[in-house]
Amino acid sequence: MIVEVRYFAVLRERAGLAAESVETAVGTAAELYDELAARHAFDLPRTLLRVAVNEEFADWSHRLSPGDRIVFIPPVAGG
Amino acid sequence: MQPFSLSPAPLTPETYRSALADRAAGGYASFEGRVRDHNEGRRVVRLEYEAFEELAVKEGERIVAEAMARYGVRRAACVHRVGGLDVGELAVWVGVAGTHRDEAFAACRYIIDEVKHRVPVWKLEHYSDGDSGWVACERCAAHEPGSPHAHEGDGSQSRHEVPDRAAFVHDYSRQVVLPEVGPGGQARLAAAAVLVVGAGGLGVPVLQYLAAAGVGRLVIVDGDRVEPSNLHRQPLYGVADVGRPKVEVAAERLEALNVDVTVEPRAVHATPDNVDALVRSCDLVVECTDNFRAKFLVSDAVVRAGKPAVFASVHQYEGQLQVYRPLPHWPCLRCLWPEAPRDGMVGNCAEAGVLGPVPATLGALEAMAALRRLLGLDAGDAPSLVMVDLSSLETRRIGARRDPRCDHDRPGGAPGLEADEMDLELEFATLTQALESGLELVDIRESWERAHDPPGLQIPTHVPLSELVKGHVEFPADGRYLIVCAHGVRSLSLVEHLRTQGRTGVHSLRGGLAVLRS
Repeated sequence: MIVEVRYFAVLRERAGLAAESVETAVGTAAELYDELAARHAFDLPRTLLRVAVNEEFADWSHRLSPGDRIVFIPPVAGG
Repeated sequence: MQPFSLSPAPLTPETYRSALADRAAGGYASFEGRVRDHNEGRRVVRLEYEAFEELAVKEGERIVAEAMARYGVRRAACVHRVGGLDVGELAVWVGVAGTHRDEAFAACRYIIDEVKHRVPVWKLEHYSDGDSGWVACERCAAHEPGSPHAHEGDGSQSRHEVPDRAAFVHDYSRQVVLPEVGPGGQARLAAAAVLVVGAGGLGVPVLQYLAAAGVGRLVIVDGDRVEPSNLHRQPLYGVADVGRPKVEVAAERLEALNVDVTVEPRAVHATPDNVDALVRSCDLVVECTDNFRAKFLVSDAVVRAGKPAVFASVHQYEGQLQVYRPLPHWPCLRCLWPEAPRDGMVGNCAEAGVLGPVPATLGALEAMAALRRLLGLDAGDAPSLVMVDLSSLETRRIGARRDPRCDHDRPGGAPGLEADEMDLELEFATLTQALESGLELVDIRESWERAHDPPGLQIPTHVPLSELVKGHVEFPADGRYLIVCAHGVRSLSLVEHLRTQGRTGVHSLRGGLAVLRS
């Protein structure tokens, strides 16, 4: 399936892009992050991040469907 | 008679008064504005009013309609002179007939104030020395001779000097004119106390806009001093301020911006020892720091205290905004971020870099969220995290829910009442609903007003306002109360007064008993 992924803050910097369409065979949001973390060398542990699926915060165990819009959100502290 | 009209002929108040006669009106209030023999220290001998008629009448009619709706008066009208007038002549007349005097006075005051601010009428003054000058600024006319506020006409332009602080009245007309704000909203802002934690890139716009909007009390907490590297994103400060405590400089600038605001600078960082007292001393908290330690400290404290809060953070070209409200289903910072990140993990402004407009935008959004909360305009908002990308100008709202595993102490709160402690007014459709709210109803009407209550609409707890004002009785010290009067005007004033004395848990029934009956 293909899902739409967006990156923010440190993940965007590390991936070198803000968004991409990802062809994947994984089942859950957690598995997708692990797959992409390996590809883009993300070093933020998943437990520190939140994931949103289709504009709602979701659990990492959330099962993905084709066309889902997925956002990985790192916490941000600057002010 | 027409609700608002312009008259080239001398005004005839007797005619207007009889036109407003109403057997059901127990109170009639009128205002007459006359041509004064001096302005700005100059002798005025005559003046001419010129109006943009079409617009003036429309705007005037709107103001009268607003006053009638707002104060529930029976009849109201306003007539403004145009053309040439001599000293002592009647320039503007307002009349209001209401069931009781309170509404009549309030509506009359509202109409004249709004007409002076909003109706496009210009005044050409002729002075005793043969000179003349246009005056379009209502504030100027209110100044006494000798005041430093003057229009020094040099023929080509007029110059406003810095007004005398004590004499200057901050002008909120451009926000009060918003139907959602109005004089009631302005009074809410004036009665509010806001704690701003952090006076940096986010805090600067928050402080500036909250002070400018007339938030009554601002407590600023920041232990930092102004550094040269701050100035690109914190333009409240200048080069000469480098080395000075930020809160001290901020307090000076904000007091210069608006004398109505009481600024309390605290040159300390928020710590576990001081945060609870700071949070409890205010109605709302705006979190503007640049580190996770402080953000979670503040989040935990607002959850404990049951206070609403606004959070924001920025990273390079992006920002996040989150509003916390002390409602049972609302997520706190820890619900969104169960594992508190350690500082240094994801970068702050010093490490990652930031352009000034990024915190400025997020700070302005925080100020907006704070004003909406104080004005009660966010009642329909769903909890969310808003992400803003200042590069692409994309915003994204991610719906958020309270995490049932989040183990934070939640404040008690009366069951069934989803109202913040700070809401001055609460709305109820029926007396039963009001009685079931968990608040104790207190009737502050006078005894003679209660005499006509139908049996189903009697409120046992009676504390007449006249007795309170005279100091013969005290308002009950503890507990949570819904204060009611006939139309919600007196009860709102009392709630505002009690809030200024630090009292929470007191609310006014919006619209008063009149609303419950209908």
